[in-house]
Amino acid sequence: MNRSLIGELVLKDWRLYRPMILSCMVAGAGALALSQWGNEPTLVVGAVAFFIAIIMAATMLPLAGILTERKNKHLAFLMSLPITFLEYTTAKLISTLLIFLVPWFTLVTLAISVIGFRNFVPHGVIPMTLILCGLPFVGMCIMIAAALVGESEGWAIAANVFCQSSYGLTWYFLNRIPVLHNNASKPKPVWDPLTLNILGGELVLILVILALTYFLQSRKRDFVF
Amino acid sequence: MNHLAIDMAGVGKTYRFFSLENIELKLPRGEIMGLIGPNGAGKSTSIRILLGLVHQDHGDVCVLGHPMPAEQVAAKWDIGFASEDMRLYESQTLGWHMQWMQSIYRNWDGGYAQRLLKRFGLRAEQKLKGISHGQRVKSTLLLVLARKPKLLVLDEPTTGLDPVARHEILRELTDVMREEGRSVLFSSHNTQDVEQISDRITFIDRGRIIDSMDKEMFLDRWRRLRLEAPFGVTLPALPGVIGVRQEGRLAIATTNAFNPGLPHAYEQTGARVQRIENMTLEEIFVANVERSREEVEV
Repeated sequence: MNRSLIGELVLKDWRLYRPMILSCMVAGAGALALSQWGNEPTLVVGAVAFFIAIIMAATMLPLAGILTERKNKHLAFLMSLPITFLEYTTAKLISTLLIFLVPWFTLVTLAISVIGFRNFVPHGVIPMTLILCGLPFVGMCIMIAAALVGESEGWAIAANVFCQSSYGLTWYFLNRIPVLHNNASKPKPVWDPLTLNILGGELVLILVILALTYFLQSRKRDFVF
Repeated sequence: MNHLAIDMAGVGKTYRFFSLENIELKLPRGEIMGLIGPNGAGKSTSIRILLGLVHQDHGDVCVLGHPMPAEQVAAKWDIGFASEDMRLYESQTLGWHMQWMQSIYRNWDGGYAQRLLKRFGLRAEQKLKGISHGQRVKSTLLLVLARKPKLLVLDEPTTGLDPVARHEILRELTDVMREEGRSVLFSSHNTQDVEQISDRITFIDRGRIIDSMDKEMFLDRWRRLRLEAPFGVTLPALPGVIGVRQEGRLAIATTNAFNPGLPHAYEQTGARVQRIENMTLEEIFVANVERSREEVEV
């Protein structure tokens, strides 16, 4: 593996998409601030806006970093560099994940801190918050896979539509699970087996999607750009 | 050290609706080869195979002594590739790209890059969004040339350029070629551009190399003979003549192996040689493609 050049590609993406990430972080922090205003409507609006900020980061990164790069014909330029197709894939997986982790980790930590310190909502909501924040992470991995493996705008858009419509549905069904629903209103976080299984499931799903993406890319013989 | 910058032997690649067949391409180090073919002839596919981006189904590819695609990374350190459809990051400046290339390539020549900036009339601090196509091509070439590659692979770099920009780019390429040991593969469907800078010419059509030789040899061997046939006589295609078009008594014989004895041979058949014309590279290319297609159909 050509580590130095993979590092250069990751740094390049970081420099290019830093403003985008920063704006998502500011939006997410603003949404959290709004949720602390003191009444229920602002709490709901703030919470929804907070998740939208995370979803924005999860959507924009694969679209800008992979799809737009292909659509705007930057790939020919990148592939003229001394890298292989698989090294490009590795660089894209690393950069998209690392760059996404910056706003994701910051906003999730901020949200849990706010819930923990402000006592505005029951602390029992923390596990559910983590589960919900994990969904855009899984969605982003699906979009990375579609954009890289599908090599077309159509697949990436289809994956995007699928993810966007799945978030609402998944939230709805999670909220209808009695154990999770009841735990959310408790004064302390409850880490019951179901919660841990769902969180573990999200993590496994992320790893499987990324590994599958890498495997499928490694099987390709021709690089289309 | 291998004396060939590019060595493709028996290379084939099959797609659903197109295939490259038995490509033989040899470019000695320090020479400039023009790869001419109509749109869809297989120029870009051949180039992608050369760069290791597309894997050939069969045949051997060796670039700067490196077997491809196995050693594509080692080879690409010394290859400068620019294509017509290559785009830089429009949200960034040319200076940003130059800095990035400098951090990647040990051979990056900052002084030369600055000279090219002036020569091409580019500004490093200008964002690439909204610049003209000519400036975009020049920017890409600057980034490629300042790396000081041993092999330049240019895929239709002058397509869509105005005559002034084309002239500037071709002049710069000609200057670059003076540097010792630099080899260039220049693909285009514009024969004028290729004729201007190439030592060797290769014609490709429908996935096959149909002819390849020294440029001067092409221009020397190909001739058009304007003939006047005796009444009622159809002139034959003599050895070395690839085709005779006759309307009434006037005939045009095209040869790809001209020798001073050919006009005399036609006179022996009773014809009168009105004129012997040199052919342009474009005419040679078209005649070659037509002959090749006829052969395939037969």
